[in-house]
Amino acid sequence: MELIQLAVPVLLKGLGMTAVLTVVSVLIGFNLGLGLALMRLSSNRLLAGFAKYYSNVFRGTPLLVQIFLFYYGLGQLSLIKDNPALWWVVSDGARCAVMALALNTAAYTSEILRGGLMSVPVGLVEAAQACGMSRMLRFRRIEFPLAIRQALPAYGNELILVVKGTSLSSTITVLEITGYAKRLMSQTFAIFEIFAIAGVLYLVINLLLIAIIRSTERVLMRHELLSRDIRSAPNPEGSATVL
Amino acid sequence: MKLKILMLLAGLVGGMANAVAADGELSIGTEGAYPPWSMSDASGNVTGFDADVGALLCTKLAVKCHFVVQAFDGLIPALKAKRFDVIISGMSITADRKKEINFSVGYAELANMFVAAKGSDLAGITDVDALLKALDGKKVGVQAGTTHAHFLEKRVPNADLKTYDTLDQMQIDLASSRLDTAFADQSALQDFLDKPDGKNFQLVGVEIKSTFDPTLGEGIGVGIAQDNTELKAKIDKALCELIADGSIGKASQKWFKTDISRPCN
Amino acid sequence: MEFGLWQVWEAGWVTAILRGASITILVGVVSMAAGLVIGIACGLIKWARIFPLSLLVDAYTSLVRGVPELLIIYLLFFSSVEFVTKVVTAFGYAGVAESGYAFVIAVIAIGAISGAYSTEVVRGALAAIPNGHIEAARALGLSRGRIFRRIIAPQMLRIAVPGINNVWQTTIKDTALVSVVGLQELMRISFIGANSTRHPFIFYLIAAVVYLIITLVSQAGFDGTERLLRLRTGK
Repeated sequence: MELIQLAVPVLLKGLGMTAVLTVVSVLIGFNLGLGLALMRLSSNRLLAGFAKYYSNVFRGTPLLVQIFLFYYGLGQLSLIKDNPALWWVVSDGARCAVMALALNTAAYTSEILRGGLMSVPVGLVEAAQACGMSRMLRFRRIEFPLAIRQALPAYGNELILVVKGTSLSSTITVLEITGYAKRLMSQTFAIFEIFAIAGVLYLVINLLLIAIIRSTERVLMRHELLSRDIRSAPNPEGSATVL
Repeated sequence: MKLKILMLLAGLVGGMANAVAADGELSIGTEGAYPPWSMSDASGNVTGFDADVGALLCTKLAVKCHFVVQAFDGLIPALKAKRFDVIISGMSITADRKKEINFSVGYAELANMFVAAKGSDLAGITDVDALLKALDGKKVGVQAGTTHAHFLEKRVPNADLKTYDTLDQMQIDLASSRLDTAFADQSALQDFLDKPDGKNFQLVGVEIKSTFDPTLGEGIGVGIAQDNTELKAKIDKALCELIADGSIGKASQKWFKTDISRPCN
Repeated sequence: MEFGLWQVWEAGWVTAILRGASITILVGVVSMAAGLVIGIACGLIKWARIFPLSLLVDAYTSLVRGVPELLIIYLLFFSSVEFVTKVVTAFGYAGVAESGYAFVIAVIAIGAISGAYSTEVVRGALAAIPNGHIEAARALGLSRGRIFRRIIAPQMLRIAVPGINNVWQTTIKDTALVSVVGLQELMRISFIGANSTRHPFIFYLIAAVVYLIITLVSQAGFDGTERLLRLRTGK
């Protein structure tokens, strides 16, 4: 009990860092991943090839190796050290972790979004084309919303992997939940209890995340719910508002 | 669920635990990455001051030495779990650690110091209190789980503390100027200053003795499991003899160029 | 930079790295095998909804999949040292407890993680088997054991191959985490090399390349297996 009173406030301090690491790297990683998915599907062989190799390299090597390579490896190169902007990123453990996490999740996100984009029926895109929609508008209104709806469950899993991945940044001096847990462990030696509390904290985050994704899924899939309602009680006005 | 079973089994096993030491062999847990105390090479051989202390101790006790290399902050849990009989790894005797394990008499003592870039603000400070105050907001490197880490956590809570699993990693970050300063014992820092990486650095002229703050411990001792009082008595006696006859002092001269052995009382 | 690949070769790091890589593969294969055994057992329990057990399996999979792998490894390594030593000693391998200790922990941790993911793959594969097949077999009067051997197992394995491939790729990468507790595998060797030579860039780059080779080669192997299975079933 005493231990919980000691450990929880300290670990909660780390929770903030874990959240920041997750949110920032997901924001960057999603946009990069979307770009990579579009490159992969483009007819330009060079772009498609680059996106493919990028994804294979980042998915084929452990995140820990990427983090160490960026933090200790790049930190050694004078090329990086002499460039203020690059050094700003590499000099700090947390920024370095965000870079590694973002580049890593971008690779997985690109695969997920590619699958989603490929699942959009050609007929719908053609119909939009026939309506005279521009390419940008078509992407924004037709392809992207349909793709994201298809990809959401898989993307939810990826988000959980990012949350778990943030724990690796404790190995490059970042004090997030795992970092604080390790510090507490060497102070109290209550190994099992400390790591169990930290584990529960991660579980809670991930359960919350799952709940958010489920409800987003429900919002995106509301047409199905509605169409079921419509079948049971025909309501032409109702279907009009959906559009 | 797995955790529960694990806990249950661990409890069961814990009940029947006793020393696993094979007769005629003393297994020694050491870090293997803390020059010049304890260094291990690629093939697993351990050298350094602590390796010598261990060897002297084994000869005195007429047993064979067997070194087990293990990350520093895992040493105490592993000793409690009887993975080895003793810890010899430049480990300071502290009140917190005494709650977990027993210690022999202290066999050595070193000054604790900071290192900083030559000509930096910190480098010129000569007063302890001024130094600790100047650390606020600074990036300070320290090894995880050490007395140095606990000291900084307690005395300079506003410093931006960066903890490392090994001193090597800390030295890489010092050299690449990710850190403003680092705190360790004098010998470890001297090791860094002697390398090409350390040529732009200097010791800050403030020696922090363990008498300044009890978190810094009461010298370096051999860690022994709490229930192993028989072994503690043997080791205490052997260490006192080795300190008295100058053997440990000699080993210290070899690794530190000075005698850091602590008189036995 | 004066320090290049040649120096890495000259100082004997290449053999050390290869030795590390073989330990990485060994940990990966043994953990994956353990994970598959766990996965098939737990997957069947979950699929068949065997009441109290399926709750335990649920707890196990959501716990392991919701907590960072690194935390699981720390927990097992720091807290169960004694437990493993005892188990190994009880089987009369006291010597192994010393040298193989980190290996045993690694396999337990990574095996438990890959087991949780395999469980989901196996359950998914079982759920994908058309119910009609099993009903038909039952109608033909096949015994339960035969239905499992002849109808369920072969289909499950075929459907599960891509999922198992994913779990394997994750498993081999998770082995890198065990370096934090001192097992001398590929990542640990690179770490030691990076620290002692002060050239982290080249060592971690080599590590990344070796991992990439391992994952790409095994990917090709799985693709081949998948093709083979598809050919044999005529799909």
